[in-house]
Amino acid sequence: MSELNNNNDSHKQQNDPHYWRSFEELQNDSGFKKIKENEFLEGVTKDFDPNTDINGVSRRKFLALLGASAALAGAGCSDYRDKGEIIPYNKQPEEVTLGLPNYYASTCTGCEQSCGILIKTREGRPIKVTGNPQHPVNKGKICSKGEASILNLYDPSRIQYPSKNSNGFLNEVLWTDADNAVISALLTAGSKEIALITNQITSPTFLKLISDFKTKYPTTRVYTVRQFNESVRKAAWEKCYPGSQVPLIQWDKAKVIVALEGDFLGKEGNLVENNRLFVQNRNVDDVKNFSRLYAVEGNFSLTGLNADHRFRLRPDKQTEFVLALTQYLVASKGVQLPGSLSSLASVISKFDLNKFCDENGISFNDISNMASDLVNNRGRSIIYAGSALSEKTHVAVNLLNEILGNTAVYNTASSAVELTQPSAFSEFETLVSSLNSGNVALVMTLDCNPVYNLPEDLGLKDALKKSGLFVSLTEQLNETASLSNYVLPINHNFESWGDAQTRTGVYSLMQPVIAPLYNTRQKESILLNWLKGDPKNYDERGYHNYLKENWAVSVFPKSMSLASFEKYWLGSLHDGYNLFNEAPVFKLTLNAVATESLTSIETDYQGFVVLITEGTATGDGKFAGNGWLQENPHPVSKVTWDNYAAVSYKTSKEFNLKTGDVLEIKSEKGALKIPALIQPGLADNFISIETGYGRSNSSVVANGVGYNANVLLSKSFTTSPWMFGSVAVSVTGEFRQIVSTQDHHAFEDEMIADQHLKRNIIREATVAQYMRDPHIIHHGGHELHTLYADHEYPEVKWAMSIDLNKCTGCGQCVVACNSENNIPIVGKDQVAAGREMQWIKIDRYYSGSPDNPSAKLQPMLCQHCDNAPCENVCPVAATTHSPDGLNQMVYNRCVGTRYCANNCPYKVRRYNFFNFREHFADGYQLSPSFELIANPEVTVRSRGVMEKCTFCIQRISDARMVAATENRKIKGDDVTTACQEACGTEAIVFGDMNDKESKISKLREHNLGYHLLEELNTRPNVTYIAKLTNTYSEEV
Amino acid sequence: MSNNFLDYLLRIRLPITVFVVLTSFAVTYFISRAERDGVGYTPDQPIAFSHALHAGQMGIDCQYCHTSVEKSRHASIPQVATCMNCHSIARKDRPEIIKLTNSYNSGKKLSWERIHKVPDYAYFSHASHVNKGIQCQSCHGNVELMDKVGQVNSFTMAACLDCHRNPEAKMPYLKSVNKGPDYCWACHR
Repeated sequence: MSELNNNNDSHKQQNDPHYWRSFEELQNDSGFKKIKENEFLEGVTKDFDPNTDINGVSRRKFLALLGASAALAGAGCSDYRDKGEIIPYNKQPEEVTLGLPNYYASTCTGCEQSCGILIKTREGRPIKVTGNPQHPVNKGKICSKGEASILNLYDPSRIQYPSKNSNGFLNEVLWTDADNAVISALLTAGSKEIALITNQITSPTFLKLISDFKTKYPTTRVYTVRQFNESVRKAAWEKCYPGSQVPLIQWDKAKVIVALEGDFLGKEGNLVENNRLFVQNRNVDDVKNFSRLYAVEGNFSLTGLNADHRFRLRPDKQTEFVLALTQYLVASKGVQLPGSLSSLASVISKFDLNKFCDENGISFNDISNMASDLVNNRGRSIIYAGSALSEKTHVAVNLLNEILGNTAVYNTASSAVELTQPSAFSEFETLVSSLNSGNVALVMTLDCNPVYNLPEDLGLKDALKKSGLFVSLTEQLNETASLSNYVLPINHNFESWGDAQTRTGVYSLMQPVIAPLYNTRQKESILLNWLKGDPKNYDERGYHNYLKENWAVSVFPKSMSLASFEKYWLGSLHDGYNLFNEAPVFKLTLNAVATESLTSIETDYQGFVVLITEGTATGDGKFAGNGWLQENPHPVSKVTWDNYAAVSYKTSKEFNLKTGDVLEIKSEKGALKIPALIQPGLADNFISIETGYGRSNSSVVANGVGYNANVLLSKSFTTSPWMFGSVAVSVTGEFRQIVSTQDHHAFEDEMIADQHLKRNIIREATVAQYMRDPHIIHHGGHELHTLYADHEYPEVKWAMSIDLNKCTGCGQCVVACNSENNIPIVGKDQVAAGREMQWIKIDRYYSGSPDNPSAKLQPMLCQHCDNAPCENVCPVAATTHSPDGLNQMVYNRCVGTRYCANNCPYKVRRYNFFNFREHFADGYQLSPSFELIANPEVTVRSRGVMEKCTFCIQRISDARMVAATENRKIKGDDVTTACQEACGTEAIVFGDMNDKESKISKLREHNLGYHLLEELNTRPNVTYIAKLTNTYSEEV
Repeated sequence: MSNNFLDYLLRIRLPITVFVVLTSFAVTYFISRAERDGVGYTPDQPIAFSHALHAGQMGIDCQYCHTSVEKSRHASIPQVATCMNCHSIARKDRPEIIKLTNSYNSGKKLSWERIHKVPDYAYFSHASHVNKGIQCQSCHGNVELMDKVGQVNSFTMAACLDCHRNPEAKMPYLKSVNKGPDYCWACHR
């Protein structure tokens, strides 16, 4: 290894980053060393204590034993030859072939983006969700929340019948009782207000229904709750370009992207589309056109993780930064202010970029390079400000984009459509005051949770009690519903009809793929029923007909279709969307008056600044009950099952903090106790908290996970609703364990002490280095010899490649794999013990200083080695090699010695220490509804067996079957693995490496392709494409 | 040797030993019978449907009823409606057909006794086999001659592998045949 490092300078530079995965590793903590020496964490293997486990028989265990004995007795006496029954359909639906899946196009309701989805059903039961490949916006991909939304359908915590709240107890009632109560309240409302609080509506037909509702009940007022919205960006845009909507950005057209606290890859806008467009310029076969991403941010976001240059800056200083940058561009880089913006000259004259950089610890040289980049790429660059930044920052950014001619990067061919706008806090204040004065006859909440999502100081929670009648329409119990008089359960979107429009010229359709599992109704039908006022004659097809009629009247004529409406309707249902001609109207003429708002900017906050962001896993709290998402490690911190107050390394030293120490954060409005997490790369004197946690009155999974950061928010704010200063931070002395997956499964490499940081687990180079020397990552490579004969792979040989340039670390693959391969949720306690079961994980390596590290990502899964170390050590031959290059794991043979996991250098094997389905949340995953989610083509593993990535063997077998029916040989293209299908950036390629023309063969031979730990001669079948960083260099 | 000890040997030791030997023998014999694999299992069905009549005498193709055998893993038991294609007219007055019609009209389930079964962890695919030209009879026996269907061949892993490894011997009617796969993930996943 040492000669290898001395080979040449460029190679030394390449090896320079000392990758560390946590502070314990960086500081060579003795505890961490111990962790690395041991395959499993302390105590992991010592769980079963016969003294306590047998004597302390719980009621549950007693019943289980009783049941087991009865079953055994029964089985002993039964007819051993009985093989059960086969019950055929009476009249089989025409489209069902037993054993083959059907796919239905529909629309996701996970967030306001309404992506097109494809739902895979088996014998009428939805088992998997993917993006609709033909959908024009999301093009076959969806985010992890969309993938996981199927879990919400089968969630045992769903409300199963309508109920009435009497003194805190929910008693089952008939739908007609609830309907009658509401209808009489509606009819007797008189001049009193009827308040309808809803989540943001994206359905044009539902909007029409609400307007019909308003016509019948004229005192109805609609309020829209969306906690994390684009209101600030929109207000700023309106100032700059009055009467025009905020355009979409064509990320693929931008050569230089500057993201200011803007997480467009992780949280803002249509992530699926943003990710896809962003990686267009991350193609290793076209390095000349690599884009360059600069991130200037306080938080460490997913976008920052992918940035080529990242600068730390507290979000409240962004306005000053943008203006100073503008000043620098004008004064030193020869950028001309357009005539209309001459007034800006006096505004920016007082700023000095050099001084600003000095004050804030940013390298002026690097920022100056960024400025040169922006100047050199005028009209091909974009500066993007995050939704949480102040209006003034957004105005300044809009102006700067205008000055640089970057308006060319805006998408003028299509734009986002928002049918309704989130209500401002002032509207809710009006509602609260009418509630308090007794002027509200009825409050309805539709699929939203205002009590949790809105600032407490609005006083909505108490005011709601003064409503004449309060009904909640919701899938699961939540903070709002538990206060209401009637809790009415609604359908999941897989059980509902609907439509959506979020893009110009695109209508999406939603269709039910399963009959309602419980006594629920879809919210639109309930409203339609109240509109008709005849609860006895409720028709569950009512909204279906309403939708169809609306399409016949308002959508069909726009489509210019020559077919009959019935055909058009069925065609649209089949496709899941419909296109028509609609162009957005843009007036991109700048209103120079906007500069006036910049004459004075916010003064700096003193002390700490707190930024509240949407939960990566939980959203605004809607997905808090989703175990797949809760257990999917956070893309940056790798924390599961918790939120935390992220603080910088320097701040942690000042407060003498370690991760898990509970802080008390007091804002003007509330106080919150929350554990701290030391996040490398965070701005100093800055705290970032994700919300969507700390739910109460919700499902068994959501309750008590994390802390509710919304208590810190206020209806009155100075810069943006999600950012505030003037907080008092104190250390409480309490401790709460924060569980992350990042220290687990560290690579064991003590034998070459201290070299382990240079083992080339991630290989990287800069674009400039690669262009000079295409073989840069392969210098000092190994010649591998073996004594054994090679395996023979006569037909196909499966292989995968993962492009580290395209992987943005979002975690969609993890959720897709959970769903496809029946991977159980294990819970926080088990993740703490290092027993997470996910077959694919995304490793994140930091390098550089803990103050401002750069980070690299690497998806890690079974490498399906040709010379697999796991195979040699299994005493019962439960893991063996197949002739198509797969490393097979046979559950029935496995006796659980765990030698294989011990001998695996990649640490990708997962052991079932428990029957996790039974173990997690008291058998939550054993509830009857939950069993429907399982993929019938994959074995459900039980306690005591090892498991790991199979390259989706069920899909390979299916492809073999199809090939046999078509009387041909199987081809590499026949198989798409679940992670590949889910990967929004197509970083994962799978195929047959024996086919020399295939994409995978070419990637295996690519100059940037490498195999992990290849010096061990394991010969992995997973190829990684080395990471190229497009750092600034003079010659570009 | 005292009498007590002899008494103990004869009264306690001997019977226990004999019992253990006999039981082991009986259990081993019982478990290793071909019948234990299900061979010969011919249960009564809810409707006395005769394959000999339908498939043999009348020569109805297997796939008229077992429709998905070429497309999917499962051959599938026909929906009740398939029977009614003919029996809404043919032999309407027979007691067995009346049972069938009642089930069809009332929508009440018709529970056929399962005869052939591979364990849940073996993912056998009918389509993969049938499309290679393997005849139904090779595994299921001459169903077209059976009034009441029973299991003829063993459905154990050994039986599967026997055929996968010697297809020429087991299926001489196939003109060209490759060996079947014998790696784990061919069937288990």
